[in-house]
Amino acid sequence: MSAAPAPPPALATRDLVAGYERDLPIVRGIDFSVRQGEFVVILGPNGAGKSTLVKAIAGLVPIHSGSTHLAGEDITLSPVQEKVRHGLAFVPQTENIFATLSIRENLQLAADILPRGRQAAQIDEVYSLFPDLASRRGARAGNLSGGQRQMLAVARALVVKPSVLILDEPSAGLSPKIVGEVFARLKALNGAGITIVLVEQNVKAALAVADRAVILVEGKLRHEGPAATLSSDPIVGELYLGARARQGENGR
Amino acid sequence: MNPQVLIDGLMAGALYGLGAIGVTLTYSILRFANFAHSELLTFGAYAALALSSALGALSAGLLEPIAPFSFGWALPLAGLVAVALTGLLALAVDAILFGRLRHRRSSIIVMVMASFGAALTLRSLIEFAFTSKPAYFTRELQIALPLGQGMRATPDQLLSLALAAILVIGVHLLLTRTAIGRSMRAVSENQALAGVVGVDVRRVIRVVWLLGAALACIAGIMSGLLVQLRPYMGFDLLLPLFAAAILGGIGSVPGAMLAGLIVGLAEAATVQLVGAEWRTAVAFVILVLVLLLRPQGLLGRAQA
Amino acid sequence: MSVELVAYGCFFLTMALTYAIMCLGLNLQWGQTGLFNVGIAGFVAVGAYVSALLTTPDVADRLGGFGLPMPLGWLGGSLSAALIAYLVGRLTIRLRADYLAIATFGIAAAVQLLALNLEPVTGGPFGIGFIPRPFAGRAGDPLLFSVLNLALVAAVVLLLYMALERLVRSPWGRVLRAIREDEPAALALGKNANRFRLQAFAIGGGIMGLAGAVQAHFIGFIAPENYLPMLTFQVWAMLIVGGSGNNRGAILGAVLVWGIWALSAAFISATFEPGQQARAASLQIALIGVAICAVLLLRPQGVLGEARVVSRHLLEAVGSRKIRVATDAQPVRQPPE
Repeated sequence: MSAAPAPPPALATRDLVAGYERDLPIVRGIDFSVRQGEFVVILGPNGAGKSTLVKAIAGLVPIHSGSTHLAGEDITLSPVQEKVRHGLAFVPQTENIFATLSIRENLQLAADILPRGRQAAQIDEVYSLFPDLASRRGARAGNLSGGQRQMLAVARALVVKPSVLILDEPSAGLSPKIVGEVFARLKALNGAGITIVLVEQNVKAALAVADRAVILVEGKLRHEGPAATLSSDPIVGELYLGARARQGENGR
Repeated sequence: MNPQVLIDGLMAGALYGLGAIGVTLTYSILRFANFAHSELLTFGAYAALALSSALGALSAGLLEPIAPFSFGWALPLAGLVAVALTGLLALAVDAILFGRLRHRRSSIIVMVMASFGAALTLRSLIEFAFTSKPAYFTRELQIALPLGQGMRATPDQLLSLALAAILVIGVHLLLTRTAIGRSMRAVSENQALAGVVGVDVRRVIRVVWLLGAALACIAGIMSGLLVQLRPYMGFDLLLPLFAAAILGGIGSVPGAMLAGLIVGLAEAATVQLVGAEWRTAVAFVILVLVLLLRPQGLLGRAQA
Repeated sequence: MSVELVAYGCFFLTMALTYAIMCLGLNLQWGQTGLFNVGIAGFVAVGAYVSALLTTPDVADRLGGFGLPMPLGWLGGSLSAALIAYLVGRLTIRLRADYLAIATFGIAAAVQLLALNLEPVTGGPFGIGFIPRPFAGRAGDPLLFSVLNLALVAAVVLLLYMALERLVRSPWGRVLRAIREDEPAALALGKNANRFRLQAFAIGGGIMGLAGAVQAHFIGFIAPENYLPMLTFQVWAMLIVGGSGNNRGAILGAVLVWGIWALSAAFISATFEPGQQARAASLQIALIGVAICAVLLLRPQGVLGEARVVSRHLLEAVGSRKIRVATDAQPVRQPPE
């Protein structure tokens, strides 16, 4: 092709194989890419490798082969603590805040990688996005409610102004009302220009906010498409149900 | 009870506290009970002894006591170098032994056993180098100053107490007010999440070794100054140090200091009330009581 | 001349086999169950002192002895050590793995202190003498006496070995290994891991107590200095050299290390002047420490037992419930029925 080179995707994986044990890959060769400013949701039945995929990208699960790229830069081999310096922020599903630290300390910890002069301004900016946190900044994070913890985890990820924000099932364990609030917040952040990748079990809520969805089944990318059309596409149900039938009683 | 118990207990307790802070920090970050921590104490004391003798040989004036204390400038100078050497030793042992086992994701108990092997090696090498004969930093005699209420303390003792207090406050401020302290607390709570947030866990581990080793070295020098140096001086402190670290709550610096003082005072009281020969049983009794009644310690947080 | 040599050989082997008993006890705790005991000397001392108290003739200035027959002494010694092990385990096994190590370290120090200071019971620093020796009637014939003693201790080791081998191969032993290698899997199978560990720890402690009793009666005299932490280190070296997890290795390691120890001690006393002997001996100990670290670094499988047969199955059985991996290329791993 002779067209002008397209800008590199915000986030991409090439034939990624990953898993905790060498002989037991859970992500089994995934090519996946996210455009700048896109909001992508990763769907799939239990055990499909959704979490493992994003953890491998974040550097928490060993990558056996293949590569990961952030804005065209190969970040496969950069250690977990370096990825956030490249602009990739990750919010794990559970234990995603430091319960023994205060709200302020949680945010300050994230800001510690920034130049000293920018730290206070960044934290203040996050406080302005999350006034609930600002009003309780001295409180121990362990004393927060489930929804507030999730907000703190997102807030902490935003302190470094990431280019890509990955969230692993932020709705887990939250009431539908709070889920709605969290997702609305994510949508707003996306509108402000942050690329978002969301792993979700909550298909309906996720498709309502995302631009595009990809569906993993058994460690491979099986289907993808615009979120708006997928919500009515029978293939989604089929992929879920098919996998569930193969899994027998092991599905949720 | 003789009020002197208070002074004796505080002295021993300050020493235990300093050692226990090192134990509790390394324990909370590295997640295993390091049986070799006591050898860092012994090593630090002997390193300071060797260095201060060398300095004294270079210039006899350095051994001239700084009034009102019993030692000359050679000791604090040697102490500074010994702190650095003890830190290097800790980093070296980590590079050769613990780091490799950690990298392999060895179980806690393999780490404990490795620390046990390392302790045995270090202690015996120190004994080989310096023999088991007790050694002293100084032969100067000191007159204990009356403090009122029938209590007495030597200038060396008062200095050690002040130094311990300064160090405890310093470490507490380091942990609560600085970026590296925040990183240490984050790693101690959740190592994986700390990495995600951008904390370089390996750097935190190095800092913890250096800090623990420095505190151990200073406690060793204090013990050598106030009592004597023996190759088993650290080994004999191991049980009180573990007891204090667990009583204080693993990971809690104020807890370790407080518990160190409790163990020290309990020992001093036992010596008065029961008899000196039962002193070493106190740490064990305290350990059993804590494990029985409050395994998370006084200021620790309950763990699943 | 040759009679003396044989008698010495018997003496050496008998001593080595008393260590082999300790080593078998440690192998049950560490090799089979993965429980780290840093207070072996304490359990051995309890066995030795209790048996000595029960069997020595009545003495004026000390509690007992009770003049009971020797087998009762052995039984009492090992039961007391097992009880102490049970209590220590009860206190710490449910907590972090290394709290057990710290507690055993403490118990050894406490036992040492009691032996030293509880003079009306233990004889204090002078210890207890005149402990009845097996076959004391034959003491006039040194050769026969030492052969008989060796035969007795060897019989104890053999019986213990057979019993432990049966135990290890029993369902109980298999559960122990499952727990050691993959606790979550064993728990998922519905076994109460801590109860099994506690049982193993108590039995191991009892075996160490038995070793203490047998050794005390063989030597005829005990004192606190026999049970310093050094003893613990030696037994650890024996198990590691012999190969942890393996009962035959535990016995072999005990004989081998005791041999090396005795030889190097003889070498040191022959080579170095008395003033330097303690110093040279410290190098011996340093070597044990290096050996422990080296084995952990270079042959970790030699420390944590033999084949991981049991755990693989358990791991897959549990693992497949969480992560089911299947494509055309690779069939689903079926959990073993």
